[in-house]
Amino acid sequence: MSARARLAGALAWLALLLLLGAWLSQSLSFSGDLRRFLPDPRTPEQRLLIEELGEGPGSRLLLLALGGADPQVLAAQSQMLADALAGDPRFGLVTNGAGGGLDAIPERLRPYRYLLSPGLDARPLDADLLREQIALRLQDLASPAGELLEPLLPSDPTLETLRLAEAWLPARAPQTLHEVWFDRAGAQALALVETRAPGFDPDGQRDAVQAIRAAYDAARGDGPGTLEISGPGAFADEIGARTAREAGWIGTIDSIGLLLLLLVAYRSWTIPLLGALPLATAGMAGLVALVLLFGDGVHGITIAFGFTLIGVVQDYPIHFFSQQRAGISPWRSVRALWPTLATGVAATCIAYLTFLFSGVDGLRQLAVFTIVAMATAALCTRLLLPGLIDPAPRDVARSPRLLALWRWIERLPRPRWSLLALALVALAVIAWRPGPFWQNDLSRLTPVPAPLLERDAQLRDELGAPDVRYVLTVQAADTQAALRASERLRPALDALVARGALDSYDMAARYLPSDAVQRARRQALPGAPALRQALDAALAGSPFRADAFEPFLEDVAAARAASPLRPQDLAGTPLAASVEGLLLEGDGHATALVSLGGLRDVAAVERAAAAGGARLLDMKQASESLVAEYRSRILGALAAAALLLVATVWIALRSARRAWRVLLPMALTTVLVLAVLRAFGVELTLFHLVSLILAAGLGLDYALFFEHAGDSRDDQLRTLHAVIVCSLMTLLVFSLLALSSIPVLRAIGSTVALGVLCNFVLSLLVARAPGGDAADPVAPAPDAATPERPA
Amino acid sequence: MLKAPLRVSGEYRRPDAATLVREVRAPYLETTTIRDGEAVLARDGKPERRFALSRAPELAALQTSFGALLAGDIEALRSHYTVDAQGSAADWSLRLLPRDPRLASRLQDIVLHGTGDELRCIETRPAKGQVQRTLMAGAAQAALRAGERADIAALCRGDDRAG
Repeated sequence: MSARARLAGALAWLALLLLLGAWLSQSLSFSGDLRRFLPDPRTPEQRLLIEELGEGPGSRLLLLALGGADPQVLAAQSQMLADALAGDPRFGLVTNGAGGGLDAIPERLRPYRYLLSPGLDARPLDADLLREQIALRLQDLASPAGELLEPLLPSDPTLETLRLAEAWLPARAPQTLHEVWFDRAGAQALALVETRAPGFDPDGQRDAVQAIRAAYDAARGDGPGTLEISGPGAFADEIGARTAREAGWIGTIDSIGLLLLLLVAYRSWTIPLLGALPLATAGMAGLVALVLLFGDGVHGITIAFGFTLIGVVQDYPIHFFSQQRAGISPWRSVRALWPTLATGVAATCIAYLTFLFSGVDGLRQLAVFTIVAMATAALCTRLLLPGLIDPAPRDVARSPRLLALWRWIERLPRPRWSLLALALVALAVIAWRPGPFWQNDLSRLTPVPAPLLERDAQLRDELGAPDVRYVLTVQAADTQAALRASERLRPALDALVARGALDSYDMAARYLPSDAVQRARRQALPGAPALRQALDAALAGSPFRADAFEPFLEDVAAARAASPLRPQDLAGTPLAASVEGLLLEGDGHATALVSLGGLRDVAAVERAAAAGGARLLDMKQASESLVAEYRSRILGALAAAALLLVATVWIALRSARRAWRVLLPMALTTVLVLAVLRAFGVELTLFHLVSLILAAGLGLDYALFFEHAGDSRDDQLRTLHAVIVCSLMTLLVFSLLALSSIPVLRAIGSTVALGVLCNFVLSLLVARAPGGDAADPVAPAPDAATPERPA
Repeated sequence: MLKAPLRVSGEYRRPDAATLVREVRAPYLETTTIRDGEAVLARDGKPERRFALSRAPELAALQTSFGALLAGDIEALRSHYTVDAQGSAADWSLRLLPRDPRLASRLQDIVLHGTGDELRCIETRPAKGQVQRTLMAGAAQAALRAGERADIAALCRGDDRAG
């Protein structure tokens, strides 16, 4: 094949990948849903977290603060912003304190106020009550607020509508200035917005945050003012943007660095392209397998883990490139390389098979992705690359500097007991260094900057927004039983609020009492003749006309005939969002949630909950226990994987001694890296674990290649060249990641970079083949076992 | 809804230039404090109620016209209203038409009646509903003397002195 045809082939390959990439971007959707990533729940808390909630009621709330202008201007902005967002389908609840909540009650439900409002629980609707209320209404009419109330009075002389609207306001509302909420200082207008997108959906949250900013910009126009958005969704957006920015610059420097490295190593323009094709193909193949097998249920973290793990396949073409020189056909040199490469790939793939039986979807996906990707990259290197590379490049074995390095390495000792001592010290550090070993809090990996957190706590306090960590749950056979059970909790909760253990609470029954309560209120309403009599008596001698309250009589009659309001009757009203978020219907059971605001005494709330048949759910604890579970599954799978790996390598190399020399560097490296991380007080996360697996995979390949570096000095020089290029590439990529300010990237970067360094040095010292003297491949090295040679 | 227009009496006070207090003394006690574009309504034994002046045009008009009149600042008045003056120094009236369309949708006009430097009555005509009259100074005293029989409309226009 001519050089032009080879380039055309490589470009055609690239074009195919781009097409496949376009298809993937259409059909692959990542999920941020933790359920896709974590193992099946076991404890009731875990089950509730995973199956029912997925997240707490507070995590979809965004807290808005408008500042930087006069209060009156801010109030107008707040009003326009709330109007715009209320009409936006991306938002459920939008509250800024305006409208007194009256708009929450649709016209058709207004007669239900007599079933929903607690206002008449204490006193019956009789002549005494009406007389008292009507006298108050007269004062209202003469007051400056008269004009506001006048339309309401004929149907509602006791102002039940207002009482209900007030009861439906957030349990502990901020102060109201100019009709909208303000902070205590009166400097910032506040609002609460609930997104429809779940809190764990970064795309949905970003979309919501952008929609709010756009609506705010429209409301502000050219005027002054600033908008602050806080809450889990806003943080996810902020962190996502930061990660993308850092990954962007790291990726750019990586690309330039890798390009330069490959150009220096091979002095060929086509090598960087050819070197990237197997990795890109591997990633695509892995993603295609995921799409075909798991549909769209792939968690973003699984993908992140997967791409970290397949970093090892970048080395496959490099080994091949370094072996190729004039006088030997590419097909022959790749055949010579294949047994060693295949041993590494097969051993690693067989090890990953154990993940398939871990019982965790995320790990199964990881295994499928990694196995498919590694096999693809190996096959690309074996079957496609030989047709595309320059068959007669510069022979790297002719480099005098490489030869000098090789001579120096030859003189290095082969350590034995010193390695044992090193291993013992490392194990001692791992075992006895004080401090927690594991970090289970996933959110610690993507920490929110401290000032943002402080500001969030401040706004949360001002707005009385619910706690994102703790929530009370009430389980029952159906929604009505759940509503009744949560109603029974109210006296205890009110007592806790009065004691200061808690600032506020919210539950579905606050908006929609149970059937039982509604029936009792309906029962207490007077019949039409009795009510007319009472009203006539109350109106006798009052300045109101005798027929002024006819609509009131009609509404009470309607309420007496109404059947209790059910959750499904609220569909399409602003109340539906509040009730749905707090009342979850499962299969054959229902869960009522009680969100808690300003929680100070966790133990007291827990006791009260237990006494009332409810449960205080610590979502942080539940999710951490799931992460621990996930890790123990990985560790279990890894133990099995390690055994399989040893067996595979042993069988492939047909010698316990050779297998020992190949496996020792990666085992020792793992221990050393762990010891270094522990010594620096790093609490290990899943990301560290995955990085250690990658480092071990790289180490296995280095050792395999060093151990079987070929029979002649030149072959050994070429292998040395390949492993140096491989480890420099990996070191470059992961050292840059280690410089990142984002803990996940730093954890992966530092662990892998350290692992590569250790693996390279130890493979060189332990696994390297005894030096060959001849420049030409003639006699096999004396103590090397017969290498496999496929036909 | 009422058989007859409602009558309450009390006092207006201006503790400082930015504040207006409307105090009802009979037939019950009620205090409304207006400042910073907000009204706070307080009654014995009840929690305060707050609302924006934008929702109570009667009060908004009162606040601006009071302030402007006391300060003798016709320009301030003209920035909110189209002003139409009629009558003589001894018996004048000022008709104020709101310029702000939002206010105009709720408030038809305000007519101030006075004699010399005394403001006697404010007539507020909402877009819908009945005219409200606030008698002040001499007119208010005349109304109190006349008791139930007082012709509030006539007192407001100053008919008692003219006739």
